[in-house]
Amino acid sequence: MKQQEFFSSRWTLIIATLGIAVGTGNIWRFSRIVAQNGGGSFLIPWVIFLLLWSVPLIIAEFAIGKNSRLGPIGAFSKTAGKNFTWMGGFIVVVSSAIMFYYSVVTGWCLYYFFSSASGNLLSQSNHLEFWNQFSAGYLPLFYHLIAILIVAVIVFRGIVKGIEKVTKILVPLLLLILFLLFIRAVTLPGAFEGIKYFFTPDLDTMMDYKVWLNALTQNAWDTGAGWGLIMTYAIYMRKNEDITLNASLIAFGNNSISLLAGITIFSTVFALSSADAISQISQSGPANTGLTFIYLPALFKKLSSSHILNSVFASAFFLALFFAALTSLISLVELATRTLIDFNVSRSKSILLVSVFAFLLGVPSALNNSFLINQDWVWGVGLIVSGAFIAFAIIKYDADKFRQEVINGCGSDFKIGRWFNLIIKYLIPFQAILLLFWWLGSSFSWDPQWLNPFRTENFGTVIFQWGIVIILLIVINKYLYKKS
Amino acid sequence: MSLFSIITLVFVIGIVWGGFIFFIRKAFYYESKKSNG
Repeated sequence: MKQQEFFSSRWTLIIATLGIAVGTGNIWRFSRIVAQNGGGSFLIPWVIFLLLWSVPLIIAEFAIGKNSRLGPIGAFSKTAGKNFTWMGGFIVVVSSAIMFYYSVVTGWCLYYFFSSASGNLLSQSNHLEFWNQFSAGYLPLFYHLIAILIVAVIVFRGIVKGIEKVTKILVPLLLLILFLLFIRAVTLPGAFEGIKYFFTPDLDTMMDYKVWLNALTQNAWDTGAGWGLIMTYAIYMRKNEDITLNASLIAFGNNSISLLAGITIFSTVFALSSADAISQISQSGPANTGLTFIYLPALFKKLSSSHILNSVFASAFFLALFFAALTSLISLVELATRTLIDFNVSRSKSILLVSVFAFLLGVPSALNNSFLINQDWVWGVGLIVSGAFIAFAIIKYDADKFRQEVINGCGSDFKIGRWFNLIIKYLIPFQAILLLFWWLGSSFSWDPQWLNPFRTENFGTVIFQWGIVIILLIVINKYLYKKS
Repeated sequence: MSLFSIITLVFVIGIVWGGFIFFIRKAFYYESKKSNG
């Protein structure tokens, strides 16, 4: 299929891609993981893995997408060879499975924005009960539908009139809101204690290998590296567009926003919490939502004596969270849509199919938190495999040839050195294997029935779901190759 | 705030925010170079 649409400038490409990378993980997961892993002790390995995982994989994704001008399935057959087309299929399945429940999460953020804007959220006396009532009812289903409909309309309008136009407004607005909240948070009395904890490393904690693996995991999950999403947006890069500089800008931009959100949350919690601040930040709560949907609303009530002003800050926070989720959801829907477009289905039919399936397959997650946690576990770990597959595709192509011809080819501002070959050939596979062993190995101790595939978070459910998908994809590999 | 915390703060903020600003400046530089032919 002939390439027709392109991002109209470097900046719109960067903004849209930053929208992929910045999601709810930057805001709620990052702070929780920093608190659980000793504050400053976590930040040092987190910066190191930004360079060893996120930057090289974002460069790789940009290059594969720009070179193939196809979604992950076609891109894999072109880069790794026809026998490995199924690997692109695995990336599509992982990101689509995440899309089904991420739309539910986007809906939660929208509901909490409306609740705080109306003043209802901060009028509650028990935020845990408020969350439980909301999540046990049918409202999450309704907001899941709204989220999918909004994104369907945006993606239907195409790259320039849809995705570019919307992200050009939402991403700067998200940054502005986060910056205003940051200023308010760091000027609260007592906020400095939070900043101090955030940046104070503890040598003993730093020697703990789990802190390093958590730092690597955070980079794998929240930068958008290895998801296939950046690869999809790269299809629409202009021919003379740079890869290395844009990729580095996005990786550093994403982690800059995580830092901004982290300092904001630590300052707020330390300034306003009467109980143990660290235990509040590090508690995950139901569906890992404790900090965001239960503890923060309680703290927003203490910001000032004015209910209206507190509601304004709470609604600004949830609006930022909604924007972060929405811009990531757009890319997840675009990936699935683009895959169908590569199979010669029109954009309008593709988006109709994707949104109907996204809604229907998101229903179990909207109605049952355990199902959502299961999907988050299975496909979250799947992202590590996706990252390894991307490195494998480049190794199959020939890492040095790929670096010279594709990355350092037409339009490159920054030429990348041979270090890239070493990272792609050895470090990314090593990091991926390490993470897989760690996460899957840890899951043995969480559940005595570790092989039971119908449990929420264990080894068995991962192997069962991945197994079905991988076997099916290998069986239809030839078909996928011909169609793409 | 201990010296160790200050070093961590400078290291983390310096690399992450410093890197982000550096790449934005570079992108502006190359864009203006391209538009000036």
